[in-house]
Amino acid sequence: MVTRSPASDARLGAEAVRRALTAKRADTRGLVFRLALLTCLLVSLLVLVVLLADTVLGSLSVWRTRGLADFVRSPLSADPAVAGIWQAFYGSAILMAFVVALAVPLGVATAIYLEEYASDSRLAQVINANIRNLAGVPSIVYGLLGLALFVKALGSVTGPEVFGRSLISGGLTLAPLALPVIVIAAAEALRAVPDSIREAAVGVGATPWQTIRHHVLPVAAPGILTGIILSVGRAFGEAAPLLLVGGITTFFQQAAGSGFLEVLQGRFSALPVLVFSWSRLPQEEFRALTAALIVVMLVLLLAINGTAIYLRQRYEKEL
Amino acid sequence: MPDVRSHFHQELERLEQAVLDVSDRCDRMIGMAVEAVCAGDLELAERVVAEDNEIDRIYLDSHDRWIELMARQQPMGSDLRLMSVILHLNVTLERSGDQCVNIAKMAQVTEGLPRSERIVSQIREMGDLVRPMLRTAVHAFIRRDAEEARLLPAMDEPVDRINRNMYREVVACGPDPKLLEWATRMMMVSRALERIGDQAVDIGEQVVFLVTGEYHEFSEEAFLGRGGGD
Amino acid sequence: MESVTKPDREVRVEAKPRDTSDSHETVFEIAGLTVTYGSVTAVEGVNLDIRSREITALIGPSGCGKSTVLRCLNRMNDLIPSARVGGKVLYHGIDIYDPGVDPVEVRRRIGMVFQKPNPFPKSIYENVAYGARIAGIRDLDGVVEESLRKAALWDEVKDKLDTSGMALSGGQQQRLCIARALATDPDVLLMDEPCSALDPIATLRIEELMLELKDEYTFVIVTHNMQQAARVSDRTAFFSIEVTPQGRRGRLVEYDRTEKIFTSPSQKETEDYITGRFG
Repeated sequence: MVTRSPASDARLGAEAVRRALTAKRADTRGLVFRLALLTCLLVSLLVLVVLLADTVLGSLSVWRTRGLADFVRSPLSADPAVAGIWQAFYGSAILMAFVVALAVPLGVATAIYLEEYASDSRLAQVINANIRNLAGVPSIVYGLLGLALFVKALGSVTGPEVFGRSLISGGLTLAPLALPVIVIAAAEALRAVPDSIREAAVGVGATPWQTIRHHVLPVAAPGILTGIILSVGRAFGEAAPLLLVGGITTFFQQAAGSGFLEVLQGRFSALPVLVFSWSRLPQEEFRALTAALIVVMLVLLLAINGTAIYLRQRYEKEL
Repeated sequence: MPDVRSHFHQELERLEQAVLDVSDRCDRMIGMAVEAVCAGDLELAERVVAEDNEIDRIYLDSHDRWIELMARQQPMGSDLRLMSVILHLNVTLERSGDQCVNIAKMAQVTEGLPRSERIVSQIREMGDLVRPMLRTAVHAFIRRDAEEARLLPAMDEPVDRINRNMYREVVACGPDPKLLEWATRMMMVSRALERIGDQAVDIGEQVVFLVTGEYHEFSEEAFLGRGGGD
Repeated sequence: MESVTKPDREVRVEAKPRDTSDSHETVFEIAGLTVTYGSVTAVEGVNLDIRSREITALIGPSGCGKSTVLRCLNRMNDLIPSARVGGKVLYHGIDIYDPGVDPVEVRRRIGMVFQKPNPFPKSIYENVAYGARIAGIRDLDGVVEESLRKAALWDEVKDKLDTSGMALSGGQQQRLCIARALATDPDVLLMDEPCSALDPIATLRIEELMLELKDEYTFVIVTHNMQQAARVSDRTAFFSIEVTPQGRRGRLVEYDRTEKIFTSPSQKETEDYITGRFG
């Protein structure tokens, strides 16, 4: 057959067009490619499912014998029969509060300045590039910073009783870790606000501050919130920096009746630190406890990320 | 749905109003011109000329406004047909006015000449036939009534007949050269009135176009078997 | 056939009485306006007087600088860091680029409607009330109703003022944006291709609205739709692109009454553009 074109088909008449449109072509290569992609997906999914199933199955004995409440509410102990995760749970919660209280205002403010006030300046470009690099720095490096600065140099302030190995040091170490992620996420969210909204506000006589406060921030808020939650999720799972600044891995007694400042300046533990320590213990019983601890962390992380996804989807629809 | 081009439509209406104004003036001018020539009233003839100047002024003003509206508003559909018809009517009516001036001028050149009352009465009769024609045409235009417009060819027939017959009437005036001169001038008047009648028919054709969107001459319509009955 | 002579025309046709342009005072006096973005000159040497209570259209091919000129009139170009404005833009005799002039105050007086309808993602009420509220106006309910009425939107939205402005149709959104601009009771409204995202009927409604409002406000509209400029404006400025060794730059070719521009422009370049013999 001579080379065909849509135009020549059309000139030949309706029958030729019908033949051209209905002649099915077998797309073998496309099919192979699609199958290959599917295989890759299934392999990675399989690894994940095996890991998850192994952990969940390993933890079953703990849920059966102890129950969730007892496991979470019991204090740390060297005796696997009574060991719980309470101090670590409590420590992680306060650490996250620290991260939010420190990193969020700093990070959001930085992002607003970079995007809204200095968007085109050379300085902003340099800072932007550096923040991106910071986000990629291994977390252990932040741990070293924390060890040198908050534990050694400022130990008398952060935790005079415990040689600086306090909750405050832990929080101050984790906050800079979360900061770049928050800045990047907030900057993305601000950049995603259409310029038309800024023009609209400026056009009716809003000042730059009013434009940001009344229009840009509300529109960017869900995106910023999502970034905050994701960064908190990341800080939540970090073990290495906390080990360096002295997260407690075995039993310790919280001074009973001590004030909030004492708690902050006191010794602390955190969930990922506990995973690290328990997994190294020789007793067989701690295997199940570690698995249970991991399940608790996974559920919490899932909840955190789920909230982020929910927020993003809900507000994206409105725009 | 509100009229989203009401400003344009107001302008269009004003343009149409100007046409109606001119048609009113034409109607009166025909009467004045016929009276002037039949009664030898030179003062009335002067007024006809003055009135025509006024018509010309309105015509020029309308023309400018028409061009402006066309350039600015890009009319469509019935608006476009109306614009076309308004232009046509303006030209037609302006010419009718010119015909009236021609008639009035005959009053001036025939001053003091002897006259034939028989011809005068026929001229008057033509005037009385032509003015209702113009009114009918304009009325059909106002009402957008194609049926009324299609009455015009029949109304034009007696005018044509009198005009065709005028030649014989002139010959019958006999050997008096003065009377003959006067009568020849009256042929021009008859001819002018016949033209005004034809122009009224033209307006009728335009009305049918405006209403139906199809343009035919009435003679052609008759040939095509259309006309008043359908 | 025509056996008669035409009578001489004795009556002079005097200037049309409906041209009352001289009773309109000048709102903007633009002198030697040149705008550059970095090393690129967008538009050069524009001289233009814009009169009060008229609709002035800026037309011309893409890249001729008409939008740039418009955005100089309320210092919207300030939002673009690389933009530099030379020459003078006198608003009622005051140079709005004078260092002592507050651009926020300028924009309260000179409102703007943009190419794409851009209501705030807030309620219809809040969209209209916002400008008035930050300007310190008290009777917001009254302002909202009056502005929506002027924008011919009140009847369509009066029962759903609490719903989002984003839920309206494109044409309604643009009328909402007009209402929003009217709420600060501006002196001038700048329209930057306000209908380019709208269907023909919505477009005609916006034009009709401008004609309704021009007794109270001065309009300057940028449009790439020549017919729109012809339909709506009293005066038209035609901009074109000039190719120089330094690059392409916009300039003002001709500025005149709209019917003159569209029936017998004095510049050949304008004639070529409006008759489609461009380029």
